[in-house]
Amino acid sequence: MWIYDKKLQFPVKIKNPNANYAKIIISQLGGPDGELAASQRYLHQRYSMPYDKVKGILTDVGTEELAHLEMIAAILYQLTKGLSPEEIKKAGMDTYFVDHTAGLYPQAASGVPFDMKYVGVKGDVIADLNEDLAAEQKARVTYDNILRMVDDPDVREPIKYLRQRELVHYQRFGDALRIAQDHLDSKNFYAFNPSFDK
Amino acid sequence: MNMPVAESRTELLRRIQAEDFALYEVALYLDAYPTNKKALAFYREHRAALMALKEAYAEKYGPLTIYDHNSQDEWQWVKGPWPWEREAN
Repeated sequence: MWIYDKKLQFPVKIKNPNANYAKIIISQLGGPDGELAASQRYLHQRYSMPYDKVKGILTDVGTEELAHLEMIAAILYQLTKGLSPEEIKKAGMDTYFVDHTAGLYPQAASGVPFDMKYVGVKGDVIADLNEDLAAEQKARVTYDNILRMVDDPDVREPIKYLRQRELVHYQRFGDALRIAQDHLDSKNFYAFNPSFDK
Repeated sequence: MNMPVAESRTELLRRIQAEDFALYEVALYLDAYPTNKKALAFYREHRAALMALKEAYAEKYGPLTIYDHNSQDEWQWVKGPWPWEREAN
């Protein structure tokens, strides 16, 4: 089970609301490489993972992704707080506003709602861990793209922190893949699927 | 407070689950009625019981969270069985 900690993992303190920033950063809430997808990917993959160390890595990284989901939500909340209908309209956020007002709805920047299709669970050790390595890199690129478009240091600092965590998670999933492969037939990693075959 | 003596892992786990449920239940109630004295007293009593049980569990059978790890020699956290496995329950 989970316990909620009443604090952010890294502080979010944004002085100036900015709907344009919110419009792109929302992709890390409900987009294809966002934090909701990340958390659900790892926390669902762990059930078919046969190795204790890798179960631990998936549990702990998946749990941290929930904390990142909350940080992104805090950024979006502060970026949209107190905006007038005119400001929302000027930023082109009116198409979001009409359905969700200033509520936080997980969707991609393009407006596509969150989709479990972003979450790969193949039930195969090598396939799932390679999915995770790619996912961390794709999230890193998304943060790089956000950093290209955001100047405000209040927003950049937590985004830079989240970008750095993608790199650390990529390293840990690299460890996980190595641990998994150490359990497999080194002459043929695909000889059997330890998540299914006995 | 009655400290657990010579309990099996499963017995101790059941007591933790019961205390944890009691605490969660009263927390939900207190969310809506934050000044209810009876509920606050219930919370205090059961929190003390839960903390003692969790400490005893971590000491004997390994950590329940990454924050109550004791061993100097090995990171016990990753040791199975994990909660979704039948033998953990």
